[in-house]
Amino acid sequence: MTATATTPRVPADSRGPRASRVGRVTGSPVLRLVVKRLLMAIPIMLGVTVLTFWVLSLIPGNAAQQLLGPEATPEDIALLEQQLGLDKPGVVRYLEWLQGAVTGDLGQSIVSRQPVSEILSQRLPVTGEIVLLAFVVSLVLAIPVALLAAHKPDGVMDRISMVVSTLGLSVANYVLALLLVLVFAVTLGWLPAIGFVPLEDGLWPNLRSMILPSAAIGLPLFCFYTRFLRGDLVDQMQQEEYVTTARAKGVGSWSVLIKHAFRNSSFGLITIVGLNLGALIGGTVIIEQIFALPGIGQMLLQAINTRDFVVVQAAVVIFALVAVLANLIVDLLYAVLDPRIRYGSS
Amino acid sequence: MAVVEPAPSFSLGPEIDQAEAKAGGRGRGRWRNNLGTWIPAGLILFVLVACFLGPTLLSLPSPVGGNILESNQPALSPGHILGTDPNGNDILSRLLNGGRSSLWIAVAVNLIGLAIGGTLGALSGYVGGIADTIIMRLLDVLIAFPSLVLTLAVAQALGPSMTNTIFALAFFSIPAFARVARSAVLRLREMPFMAAAQLSGTTARRMLFKHLAPNIAPQLITFGMLGMGIVIIIEGALSFLGLGIPDPAPSWGNMVATGQLSLSATPMLVVWPSVALLVTVLAFNLLGENLRARWSGR
Repeated sequence: MTATATTPRVPADSRGPRASRVGRVTGSPVLRLVVKRLLMAIPIMLGVTVLTFWVLSLIPGNAAQQLLGPEATPEDIALLEQQLGLDKPGVVRYLEWLQGAVTGDLGQSIVSRQPVSEILSQRLPVTGEIVLLAFVVSLVLAIPVALLAAHKPDGVMDRISMVVSTLGLSVANYVLALLLVLVFAVTLGWLPAIGFVPLEDGLWPNLRSMILPSAAIGLPLFCFYTRFLRGDLVDQMQQEEYVTTARAKGVGSWSVLIKHAFRNSSFGLITIVGLNLGALIGGTVIIEQIFALPGIGQMLLQAINTRDFVVVQAAVVIFALVAVLANLIVDLLYAVLDPRIRYGSS
Repeated sequence: MAVVEPAPSFSLGPEIDQAEAKAGGRGRGRWRNNLGTWIPAGLILFVLVACFLGPTLLSLPSPVGGNILESNQPALSPGHILGTDPNGNDILSRLLNGGRSSLWIAVAVNLIGLAIGGTLGALSGYVGGIADTIIMRLLDVLIAFPSLVLTLAVAQALGPSMTNTIFALAFFSIPAFARVARSAVLRLREMPFMAAAQLSGTTARRMLFKHLAPNIAPQLITFGMLGMGIVIIIEGALSFLGLGIPDPAPSWGNMVATGQLSLSATPMLVVWPSVALLVTVLAFNLLGENLRARWSGR
C-alpha cells in the first residue's frame, strides 16, 4: 500500500506517465485474477468428473458385459470384470483414475486397450478443425454484417440481417446439416455428403469435407453473434453520452460506430463468445455423427454405447476444460481491455 | 457525471419506442408492437391445436402400425394428405402426434426448471453469503458440464422413454433458470422499494412472495419462452440419436433421423418434421424476444 501513499490515486482517464506502469504490472492484479480463477476452476473440474463417474455408474451394464455379448456366462463376466478392474467400488476406481489424470495419464480404453492420450491425439484435431473453422468464419462475417445493420437501424440491411438471424437461431443444427446435405450434396452434387479426408491428402480435399459440417455449426453461431452485436451497437449509439459527445465534435457516423461504439460492444461480444464455446463443442457430437467424422463427439457416442467409461470420462474432461478455459480467457481479456476491472475499482 | 441527467422515464425499450415513433402515433404504434406478440402467439396456438386436437378432428389414421402395402405413397394420395412413410404410416399423423410429445416434454422441462431452478436462484440471490456461494458453485459444475453429454448419459442410464427424457433435460434447465432468477434478484435487491419493505419489517416469506416473485416473474417467463425452443431442439437431438422417444412412437427428432436414411430418394420425410421444428421454435423465439423487448424497459 506504499505505492498508494506516494502516488495518489488518479482517475483512470488521466493516467500518469510511464513511471507508474511498471509498478502496476508487478503489483499485478491481473496475475492475482489468473491465480484466483485457476483455483476456482479446480473444484469445478473435480465436480464435473465426480458427476460423470456417478452418472456413468447409473447406466446399467458394464464394459465386460458389452465385450462378451449376451451369450457370456456370469463367471466369464466376473473374470473379465476382475481383469479390467471393474469389480472395485466406484469410489476406488474414481480415485485411481483421478490419481492418473492429475499426472496427465488419462488411462487406457477399456474396450480397445489403446491409451486414451493416443485416441485423443487422433480425434482432437478433427473436432478442433470443425470448431475453429465454424468459429472464425462466423465471427469474421458477423462483425461487418452487424456494423452494417447497426449503421442504419431499421434500414434494409438491418431488416435482412434480422430475418436471417432469427431464422438461423431457430433452426436445429441437425436439421440444418441435413438440409445442407440435401441441397449441396444430393441435389447440386458440389460437396461430399459424409466422410472425412485427412489433411495429409491435400488441403482442398480436406476443406471440402469440412465445409458442410462447419457450416452447420457456424451458421447459427453467425446469427447469434450478429444479432447480439447489432443489438448492443444500437443500444450504445442511442443511449450513451460519449456517442453524443463524439457526434457533437463532428466525428463521422461510421467513425463513431466503429471506433467508439464497437470498441465498447466488443466486451459483450467477448463474453458471449466465451460462454458459447463450451456449447459449441457439445454441438459437434451430433454433427460428427451425421457427417461420419472421426472426432471427439463420435468417440463419445461410441464409448457411451460400449460402456467404455474411461474414454467417456476423457471426452467429458476435454469438453469441460474447454468451457472453463474459455471463461478464464474471457475474464483475462476483460482485465486487459478494461482498466476499471484491472485495478479492481468496481 | 454532475451534468443534468434526464429523469428516467417509463420506456418500453429502444426498439419499441422507435417503432412507435415511426408509426407516427400512439394508437398505430401500439397496434404494431402488439402484432409482434400476437403473430407468434397465434402461431403457437395453431401448433398446439393442430398437435393436440388435429389427429382427432381430422380423424387421421394411427401414427404407428401402418400397413406395409401402403408404404411410400406420395403426398395428396387419398386418405394421406402428406403421403406415407416406408412403414406405411400416415406422415401427417406422425407429424402431429410427434409434435404432441415434443411440446409435452418442452412444457414439463421448463416448468421443472422454473420451479426448482427459479426458487434456488432467487433464494440464493436473496440470502447471499455462504449459501449463495455453495449453490452457485454447484450450478457452475452443471453449467461447465457439456449439457448434451449429460443428457446422453442420463438418457442412456434411465433408458429411452418420455419421462426419462424429461428428467435428463431438466438437469440443465435448472441451472439456467437459477442463473436468470439470481441475477434478477440481485438487481432487485438494490431497488429502494426493497429497502423500504425491509425497513418496515416485512417478513421474509412476504418479501419472497409479494415483492420478489412478481418482479422476477416476467424475466423468468420470457426466458421460459426461449427455453421452450431450446428444449424442443435438444429433445429432437436426443430422439435423433435414438435416446429420446423410443422408436415406433413418432417424434420430430426420430422422424428426421429415420428420414435421413433415404434422404436422396424421399427428401420430404426429412423436410416435413424439419419445417414443423423450425416453425414451432421460431414462434417461441419470436414471442420470447418480443416479451423481452417489452419488459426490458423497466
